[in-house]
Amino acid sequence: MSDEIKPDLELDLKGLLCPLPMVKVSQRIKDVPVGGVIRAVATDPGAMADIPAWAKSTGNEVVSAGKVGGEFVFLVKRVK
Amino acid sequence: MADATTTEATELATLAGVIDKKMTRQLKQYLDLCARCAICKDACHQYVATQDVKYLPAYRAELIRRIYKKYFDKTGRFVPALYEGRDPDENLLDELYETTYACTGCRRCMYFCPFSIDTQFILSVAKAMLIAAGRGNEMLGQLADAAIFKGDNMEMFHDVIVDGFKDVEKEVQEITGDPTAEIPVDKQGADILYVALAGAHSIRPAAVIFHEAKESWTLSLFEAANYGFFFGDPVKARKIADRFMDEAVRLGVKEVVITECGHAYRVAEIFHEAWAGKKHPFKVTHVLEKIDAYIKDGRIKVSKAIELPITYHDPCQIGRNGGIFEQPRDIVKAISKDFRDMTPNRQEQWCCGGGGGIVAIDEMNEFRLKSGMKKVEQIRATGAKIVASPCENCRLQMEGLDEVHQLGVRIAAIMDLVVESMPLKGRDAAKV
Repeated sequence: MSDEIKPDLELDLKGLLCPLPMVKVSQRIKDVPVGGVIRAVATDPGAMADIPAWAKSTGNEVVSAGKVGGEFVFLVKRVK
Repeated sequence: MADATTTEATELATLAGVIDKKMTRQLKQYLDLCARCAICKDACHQYVATQDVKYLPAYRAELIRRIYKKYFDKTGRFVPALYEGRDPDENLLDELYETTYACTGCRRCMYFCPFSIDTQFILSVAKAMLIAAGRGNEMLGQLADAAIFKGDNMEMFHDVIVDGFKDVEKEVQEITGDPTAEIPVDKQGADILYVALAGAHSIRPAAVIFHEAKESWTLSLFEAANYGFFFGDPVKARKIADRFMDEAVRLGVKEVVITECGHAYRVAEIFHEAWAGKKHPFKVTHVLEKIDAYIKDGRIKVSKAIELPITYHDPCQIGRNGGIFEQPRDIVKAISKDFRDMTPNRQEQWCCGGGGGIVAIDEMNEFRLKSGMKKVEQIRATGAKIVASPCENCRLQMEGLDEVHQLGVRIAAIMDLVVESMPLKGRDAAKV
């Protein structure tokens, strides 16, 4: 399902150490319209908790989060 | 019915009341004492780099002092214009926001002030006022809320966090060459609770070192970083630190060891007991204090494997504000052949410009990198090829300075360098 979503913004967060992936998603969410989606790819496993926690606490939505090879891929939807 | 002017006056008085709520003998002294000698201008890396008065420590404090004069000082109340008394109006709040959230809280100005005026302390009142006015830094507030949410809903994140630890554990087994090496979590009765950052980079080398030292330890489920502290809200800051402090009590550990992070160490060691209003049933140490002891006690073996010239940057929150100066230097000297200290150093060390949460504030990037000029000069003067520093914010800033100024240096965490200098069976098979 989430494979069908076309992201409005791609964020390459590979190599960034936590909490920086969360910081970058947080900084860039305003660059997509409400309803828009960021596709973020990180390599630090800490992002798997950080980014969903940030999304929940800010009222945004993680549409999907998963490990693909050695990378962590997130689709984050701007809700407000 | 109140008209607009009355409402506005009430709002201004309410904001000014934040000063009253925060008033202590110490704050009153700071607000009354400044002689405007401007010695602090030569102490602040931001003022030195920009020559902009808004970054002059005395001026930053002056903004709060003017509100104090108008509302709480007898002479200022009667003749505000004469004493430069001001309302916390839109213009003042705009100015206060920029000067306050730009400050890294390094407290170098306090060190050189003849009256030891603590500008960071005054700016903590400024942050409280900005937050009351709904003008706290949004990014820092969001990051603080995310940490609190994680703590309040650990059942939602527990498995994914522990899965991440398991991946790191495999790397630790490869590096040590010991398939039994582990990253213990939730281990009741362990001697040490190690509090890392969310990133694997602060877990992996510590796990290797604890394993080799045969330490009784367990890893916290929570990260040490505290954006509530940077945001300026002591309630949020305390909640974030409570997560691992409560964990330490629950597990019955003897010691909480904070990773290579400046502000997290200061929050845990200096502030948390006062915030919580009770004494910790364990001691709080910085991980470099432990590693220094392991080396000196022979619990881990290291060699002088670092051949390139290396220098050490004292993070402000660990050095000047935390009192740890010698242990990191002793570690670096034990693992390297050519240690070159910066000048000045220890209590007088220049701030790199990356503290106070400023690395997370996108709109301050250009200013932040500009403010690091003194650090650039210091690094260049050593001729070092490696800069070791036990603070994530300092390292991020210095990596930025390295890129902008083509310094050609490697910015490194000390734990990583220690692991590189240890005889480890599996080290060559994996990168630490």
